[in-house]
Amino acid sequence: MLQKLEINFEQVLEENKHKIFRICSIYAVNPLEPQDLFQEVVFQIWKSFDGFKGQSTINTWVYKITINVCLRSKMKLDKTNQKTDRFESIHFTPVDEEIDTFEHENFKYLKACISTLNETDTSLIVLYLDDLSYKDISSITGLSENHIAVKMKRIRKKLLDCIASKMK
Amino acid sequence: MDGIQKAIRIRDIREISASVIGMLLYMYLLFEIPFPMTRFASALSIVWFAFVILKLRKSKTRHITCKLDLSVRGQLADQEAAMRYQAALLDSVAYWYAIPPFIINCIFVLGLGNPAEYNWTNSLAESILPLSMNLKIGTITGLAFFYALIIWLNKRAASRDIKPILEKINIIQDEWEADNESNG
Repeated sequence: MLQKLEINFEQVLEENKHKIFRICSIYAVNPLEPQDLFQEVVFQIWKSFDGFKGQSTINTWVYKITINVCLRSKMKLDKTNQKTDRFESIHFTPVDEEIDTFEHENFKYLKACISTLNETDTSLIVLYLDDLSYKDISSITGLSENHIAVKMKRIRKKLLDCIASKMK
Repeated sequence: MDGIQKAIRIRDIREISASVIGMLLYMYLLFEIPFPMTRFASALSIVWFAFVILKLRKSKTRHITCKLDLSVRGQLADQEAAMRYQAALLDSVAYWYAIPPFIINCIFVLGLGNPAEYNWTNSLAESILPLSMNLKIGTITGLAFFYALIIWLNKRAASRDIKPILEKINIIQDEWEADNESNG
């Protein structure tokens, strides 16, 4: 039973590690690094893994934990600005995909503009950029789909204005 | 948040341990000391220590949950409720942690009489207990300062450690709720 659980946990981690790291990269603000947040998320997923009841899809469940951990870490950082301990046993290095310079520049602008958003808007845009439906975002955030649609409209406009001004 | 959780856990362990030791000490005094008023105060102290243990054990169930698989909104509401409970616990410390034991201790000290009248001999207790009026006044004054310090420390902890986190949670909650009105 334990072995089965471990295999499942590894599968879940394998399938989701890129998106977890992507979200962590957006939330990580100096001195906290994406690797530190990634480790914390992985640890919390492992800790909560027994409690997964299958009420939502495993992907939605992973997103919930990732966003909650990122938000909590940010709160902790804001208060104490404390350093974190890094464990080499939980280490993930994303493989750099072939990205041309133009795309790289766009991504840089997008990331810079996302960093200007507040925590709530950041959470929503991160989920939106991961191609999640409003229904899934609603399940993760606890907001109604209509509410998310209104927020997304405003966030998209804010981001477009920001990116346009940076590209000029 | 984790730092606060750890601090709350350590505080609870420390206070519960101190209460258990206090209960044992006052049980000994209850059976050893012959003065009726002091014995009554010892019995009240035991009841008060039991109350502190129960209250802190109850507060344990209100700690920040680690249910990270709740929705973000649910997680924030959970954290807010736990932080509000802790803030209220620290803010009200005068009413449940400082004033009752101060009154009980005053009764205890004022109830101490002349051991010779009760044919009571206990060299250790006699050397520790404030039996003269001057020592009684000194002890009560010292206790008043001690409990005032406890109230001040707890109020400072509430405003310095708990309230900033609560404010931060409320700001994020407001951000989540923003646009909801325009949504109708």
